[in-house]
Amino acid sequence: MDFELIIGFAGLVFLAMVPYIFAGLGTMLAGQTGLFIVAQEGIMLTGASIGFLGAYWTDNLFVGVLTAIVAGGLFGLAFAFFTTTLNMNQFVTGLALFFVGLALSTLIFKLAIGVTLTPPLVPTLDKLPIPLLSQIPVVGDILFNQNIFVYLSLLLSGALYYFLYRTSYGLELRSIGENPKAADSLGINVKRGRYFAAIGGAMLISMAGVFLPLVYTGTFTEGITQGRGWLAIALTFFGGWRPHTIFIGALFFAAVDVFALRAQVFGGGIPHQFLLTMPYIATLLIMVFGSRWVRVPTFLGQNYDREKRSV
Amino acid sequence: MSETALTSSKPKNSLLSQALPYILAVLAAFLATGIFLWLAGFDVLRAYQTILFTSLSSRNGFIQTLLKFVPLVLTALAFTIPSKANKFNIGSEGQLLLGATGAVAVGILFADLPSIILIPLCLLAGIICGGFWALVPAWLLYRFGINEILSTVLMNFISFQVIDYVATEIWRDPLAGHPTTIAIGENAELPLLVSSPPLHSGIIIVLIVAALVYFYTDYTSAGYELVATGSNAKAAKVYGINTRVLFVLALVLGGAMGGLAGAIEVTGNHHRLIEGMQSNFLPLGIIIGLLSRGNHAAIPFVAFFIAVLEVGASALQRTMFIPVELVFIVEALILIFVLLSDFVRRK
Repeated sequence: MDFELIIGFAGLVFLAMVPYIFAGLGTMLAGQTGLFIVAQEGIMLTGASIGFLGAYWTDNLFVGVLTAIVAGGLFGLAFAFFTTTLNMNQFVTGLALFFVGLALSTLIFKLAIGVTLTPPLVPTLDKLPIPLLSQIPVVGDILFNQNIFVYLSLLLSGALYYFLYRTSYGLELRSIGENPKAADSLGINVKRGRYFAAIGGAMLISMAGVFLPLVYTGTFTEGITQGRGWLAIALTFFGGWRPHTIFIGALFFAAVDVFALRAQVFGGGIPHQFLLTMPYIATLLIMVFGSRWVRVPTFLGQNYDREKRSV
Repeated sequence: MSETALTSSKPKNSLLSQALPYILAVLAAFLATGIFLWLAGFDVLRAYQTILFTSLSSRNGFIQTLLKFVPLVLTALAFTIPSKANKFNIGSEGQLLLGATGAVAVGILFADLPSIILIPLCLLAGIICGGFWALVPAWLLYRFGINEILSTVLMNFISFQVIDYVATEIWRDPLAGHPTTIAIGENAELPLLVSSPPLHSGIIIVLIVAALVYFYTDYTSAGYELVATGSNAKAAKVYGINTRVLFVLALVLGGAMGGLAGAIEVTGNHHRLIEGMQSNFLPLGIIIGLLSRGNHAAIPFVAFFIAVLEVGASALQRTMFIPVELVFIVEALILIFVLLSDFVRRK
């Protein structure tokens, strides 16, 4: 492999990383307060569908992203309401919302667009080279000659890390996931924290979805996420529910993604189907090796009922 | 995962008070969807008529419903058997596809065998392949403690590529425009109960299997070990139940159900492997399993109800151009409202 190729590969990895970062950070944010969402795939699909339609109708990608964020927020609100206020099982609620998202994304798209021979398209997002920085050899090309989503995902990783680990609000939020009863006794509003984290997290997950039509394909297709929502859950697990390790994990997932696609071109006689299973097999392997050192929020997946004697 | 186990049995009340939350949930789901349809400018009453009565008002519709019913019962069992032990199999899709692959392989390779040997062989191949596909996550759980929810889901995505390879490289049907294998031998086809419109005998197999599973989980000590492990794994362990092995067994049994669903779809329905034949049986199976709350006597009835809705959904798309996904949303809403009724009951 020559040098140009490696730079190109690295650039693509940083692009492919974006949906993993957003979905992983969203899952993590909710998880830090003890909420375990499994509806990622459904939320991402709805974000992709509704976000695409928003962009298509207004000819404005920014509006598309905003509609996706609103749609994601509604999912987060529903999840928080069912699990926190109504005390319903988190896993089952997540599954139900996954189904709703799965169906809603296709239904709305079909009703809005109808049956067409040519798919509706939006122009995909352009690169936005950062002046000066993009002139730096090698690093500039990889990091600073990307689209705005890439910069946003990098900023967000840093911002969330700062918020969760360097501010008192972040500490309060994390304490809800570690021990809601203790947090409650210290006067932290457990319900409010969980609503905030669920809505914010689902918004991020939905942004991961809208990235796909607006940057990759230019249109929405059924199953556009290809299991990335589920991979994001695995990523969050072995990323230890921390922003910085999730960032590293997302880079790895993206590298496998890009490598699987590239390897199809260079072939070597391996059937492409086997290459396309690589992200999933790699994830299974990582879960095997990562399970030794992951640190999961203690109350992940458990509801908190303050009227109960023992939690 | 939470203090309310999914499979917990409710105190026995009168039949009506047990059925009431379900009736209310169905009504609420239809009401919510009706408002959406009305806003979208459709004829709501005609749509509901189509959804509810298509399968019961014609011979063809009724047989379509029974054909849908067969895989739905099995994918529901694929979810509920492990859920008895508090393990969650979200991989019935992959298990169905691998079961279908196994059945197709046997049906093509041994096409000359007489039916009496070949059909059981095909079904067995499906069961083994489906069971194997669940054994992978089960072993990962046993050996490394890997969460089975994620690993079963990931196996689905691997299975999509496996059947794509089988349908485009190994036994590709060159005449089909869509990835499809060549047909299995005629001797491998399940005998028909009704010839026109065709209804295969898979429905008998399914009813027997469903009855056996009900007997196993509710009336045998081995089944009770499963339920005991599900409600309190620690206590079960103290009593000398090898819970880790039981988790493996429960998941593999569930996978076998998914595999059997695939094998019956191949030998009875399609007679070949078709990409996309898994349809939405995975989510529907989970919905059926959750609606029946792990009560194996209820599963065939809930599955039949969902099959009615599904046949209505395709009629809706044909006659009124309302996408089939609408009915799927109705089904997901029924699930949510039934879960909500738990909350109302607790208050």
